[in-house]
Amino acid sequence: MQTLKINGVQHQIDVEDDMPLLWVLRDVVGLTGTKFGCGIGECGACTVHINGAAVRSCSFPAIAAVGAEITTIEGLPQNGEHPVQKAWLAEQVPQCGYCQPGQIMATSALLANNPQPSADEIEANITNLCRCGTYDRVRRGIQHASELIKEKGA
Amino acid sequence: MKNNYLKRRTFLTTSALAGAGLSIGFNFMPEAAFAAGTVTLEKSGVKLGLWVRISPDGIITLIAPSSEMGQGVNTSLSMILAEELEADWSKIKTETAPANSDFKNPDQPMQLTGGSASIKGFWEPLREVGAAAREMLKTAAAQKWDVPVSECKAQSGQIIHAEKGVLNYGELATVAGKLDVPSDPPLKAEIDFRLIGKPLPSLDFPDKVTGKAQYGIDVRLPGMLFGTVRQSPVFGGEVLSYDEAAAKKITGVKAIVPVPNGIAVVADNTWHAKKGMEALNPQFQGGVTQDLDSTKVSKILRTALDDEGKEEIKAEQVLDLEYEVPYLAHATMEPMNCTANVGKNFCEVWAPTQNQEMSMDVTEDITGLDEDQIQIHTTLLGGGFGRRIEVDYVTQAVTVSKVLQKPVQLIWMREEDMQHDFYRPASMSRFQIGLGTDGLPVQWENQLALPSILKRYIPPMGWIGFDPTSTEGASELPYDIPDFDCDYSMVDIGVPVGFWRSVGSSHNAFYTECALDESVHAANQDPFEYRRKLLEEAPRFRKVLEEVAQKAKWGRKLPEGHGLGIALHKSFGSIVGAVLEISANGSNEIKLHKAWLSIDCGKVINPDTIRAQMQGGFIFGLSAALGEEITLKDGRIEQSNFNDYSVLRMNGAPEISVSIIESGEEIGGVGEPGTPLAAPALANAIFAATGKRYRSLPLSKHGIVLA
Repeated sequence: MQTLKINGVQHQIDVEDDMPLLWVLRDVVGLTGTKFGCGIGECGACTVHINGAAVRSCSFPAIAAVGAEITTIEGLPQNGEHPVQKAWLAEQVPQCGYCQPGQIMATSALLANNPQPSADEIEANITNLCRCGTYDRVRRGIQHASELIKEKGA
Repeated sequence: MKNNYLKRRTFLTTSALAGAGLSIGFNFMPEAAFAAGTVTLEKSGVKLGLWVRISPDGIITLIAPSSEMGQGVNTSLSMILAEELEADWSKIKTETAPANSDFKNPDQPMQLTGGSASIKGFWEPLREVGAAAREMLKTAAAQKWDVPVSECKAQSGQIIHAEKGVLNYGELATVAGKLDVPSDPPLKAEIDFRLIGKPLPSLDFPDKVTGKAQYGIDVRLPGMLFGTVRQSPVFGGEVLSYDEAAAKKITGVKAIVPVPNGIAVVADNTWHAKKGMEALNPQFQGGVTQDLDSTKVSKILRTALDDEGKEEIKAEQVLDLEYEVPYLAHATMEPMNCTANVGKNFCEVWAPTQNQEMSMDVTEDITGLDEDQIQIHTTLLGGGFGRRIEVDYVTQAVTVSKVLQKPVQLIWMREEDMQHDFYRPASMSRFQIGLGTDGLPVQWENQLALPSILKRYIPPMGWIGFDPTSTEGASELPYDIPDFDCDYSMVDIGVPVGFWRSVGSSHNAFYTECALDESVHAANQDPFEYRRKLLEEAPRFRKVLEEVAQKAKWGRKLPEGHGLGIALHKSFGSIVGAVLEISANGSNEIKLHKAWLSIDCGKVINPDTIRAQMQGGFIFGLSAALGEEITLKDGRIEQSNFNDYSVLRMNGAPEISVSIIESGEEIGGVGEPGTPLAAPALANAIFAATGKRYRSLPLSKHGIVLA
C-alpha cells in the first residue's frame, strides 16, 4: 500500500511500480477530469501538478508521486473561480473541451511560477495539443489570466 | 444524401406520460406511422420527440437532437428554442437525445450529426416547438386569470398581464401541458429577436473548465471492467494467434474476447488491459491491403487519371497541372471508446458518437434485443470531425459486454486510433486550363481520381453508383468560366476512407483555388482582382471576397519576405473567404502571421460560435496542410501516435480574425466550411512570398518547416 495525496486528500493505493499516475487517477481513484490522449507524453491532455509543476501523468509512474502534492483539474475551484478558469470562460476558449483540463493545468502551473510570461515564454511552455484548433483563444486566455493575477496582486 | 426518409409529415405533440410540467415535441413521422394512430405515440411515452420539458421549478430542458462535439450546437439550438419560447436564458439546460428517429435531422438520411447541418435542419422545427409552448403557457395563464389570451404577453420566462400581474413558466407548466397543442403557432418577427444574433457564452463551458464535463471515457458504472482492442494492422486481416496464457498472467486481466477484425483484453483497469494486450501479442494474417504502400497508392491514382486522359485546349495560354494529397487521420483528442452494459433483456450503451441510429442498429444486431430494450446514451464527444459517424467502437464494446454480461468500457490506445481510422481519401487532380487574351480562363478541364467514401459507407442497396462527396467543391465553382468540366474516376484501394471535416472540399478547395492562383500568375494579374472579375455574376461570393480583402488590407506594402495568399470556397451552404499572411526567411522556414476569414452563412445564430468554428476549422486545415500525412508500408499505416503524425501546436498557429456577413440567405453550416480554405490560402501565400508553387501536401514533404 502506498499513499497518494491528491487535491489535499490522502488515498491508499496498491499498484505496480510502472502504473502511470493517469490511470491511477482515472480508474483507481475515480477522478476522470484528467484525460487520456496519447499515452506517450506528446499531447498534454493528462497534465496535472506535482508539487506545483506541470507533469504529463500518462508517462509518470504513480509511485513516484508518493509524498508529493498532486493537484488535478478537480483540485481547482469547482465554482470556476481560479483566474485561469475565469479567463477561459471570459475568452470562451473551449470547443469540445477534452484537452482543456490539460491546457488549464499547464497554464496555471506556468502562471504560478511566472505570472507575467512573454509571448515567447507562453509558446515555449504551453505545447498541449488541441484538435479543435482553439490555440488563438488559449493564447488570449493565458494573457487574460495573467492580467487577472496582476490585478489581484496589485 | 437525400432519400425517401425526407418524405415525412410533421406535427407537434405533448405527452401525458412525461409527468408534471409541460413537455412538447415535434415529431417527424412517416405517413404510414402517423396514419396508424396516436395510441402508439402515447404508449411510447418519453420516447416521443419531447424536445422541450418545462418543469414546475421553471427549468427548461432542451432534449438536444445533435451530438455536441465542440461545435457549440447545444447552445445554438437552445438559443433558437429560447427565442421563440421567450424563456429566461439562465433557466435553460440541455440533454442529448436518445436514439430515436423522432430526433432525426430532417436534412439527414438518419439520426446523426454531420454535414454541418444541425442549424439548417432544426431551425424551423425548434422555432415551432418554442412558439407552440409559448402560446400554451399564455393560454394557461389566460384561463387562470380569466382574461383573453390576447392580453397576455410572454417575456423572459413569465406571462405578464397589465392588471393581473405575473406568472412564472414553472407555475403554468403543468396546466399548459394539458392543453391542445396549437398546430400553427405564430413565429416571432426576426426584428424582435433578442437572443438570436447575440454572442452568448456556451452553456457547457463552465463544466469544461472544472473537469466535470463527461466524455465517453469518463463513464463509470458499478462493477465495470476496462478493455482495449487490437485489430489487424493490414486492413481486413484476421487474428492468427495470440498468447492467452501470457496475457492472463498480467495482474488484473479478466478476459480475452474476440471482436470483429481483432481481439479485446478486459481487465480491472485500462492500464492492466493495455499490459495484457502487450503480453497477448496477437498476430494477424491476410487482409485486403497486403503489399500496398504509398508509392503504389500514387501509382493507382495516376493510372486512373491516365486512363481518363486529358482534354485538348485551344487557347492563348494553356496550363497543364497535377496535384495530389495524402490520406489523413481524424486523430480526435479523445480516442475511440464506448461503454456497454448488456444483460439478458436489456442493453445500455454510452457512446461519444455522431451516429445514434447506426449505434442502435449495430446494438440490435449484436444483442438480438428490440429497440425498446436498448438505450443509447450520447456523451460529450472529445472531438468528432466525422470520425464518430462510424460505429466500429460501439460494435466492439457491445460485443465484449454481451460475452461477459458485465458493463465494459473499451478504449483504444492512440496507436490503434491512428492505425484504424476511416481516413480522408488520398487523391489526385489534374487541370488543363485555357486562358484567353485577357488572361481569364476560357476553358477549365479538371479530372479527379480518388476512392469513394459513400461506396464504403452506404450498404449496397442504397449505393447509387457515384459519389457526390468526391467532386464536391470542384464540380461547381462560382467563377464565370465559359467552358467548364469536372470528371472523376473512382478507384478501389482497400484503405478504409471516411468523412473528414469538410469531406470533398478538404482537397478540392486546395486543388481548384491553387489552380486558379496559377492561372492568375500565368496571366500576370492580381489574385484578388482576377477572382473579382470572375465573380461579376456571383454577388454573394464577390462580397465575401471583397470583405476579406478589405479586412486584410489587400494590396498594402508588405514587409520583406512576407506574402499574402487568398482563397474563396463554398461548402455546406456557406461561402468563406480567407487571406493568410506568412513570411519566409529565404530558406524553407516559414512563419504564419495572421489570417483573416469572412463568412456568409445566411443567418447568424451565435456569432461567437461562428467565429470559433471558423478559427478552429481553419487551424484544422492548416495543421493538415503543413504536416499531416498517413502513409502505408506493407499494407499497414506507418504512423502510430502524435510523435509521428504531426499536428499543429500553439506556437505555429496564427492569430485569426473573422468577419461575418449576415446576408439573410438560406442557412449554411459553420462546423466545416472554415477548413477547406486553409491549404490553398497557405500554398498561395507561400508562392506569393517565395515564388515556389507546391502542388502536393503536406508541405513538410517539400521541406517546409515552421520557424
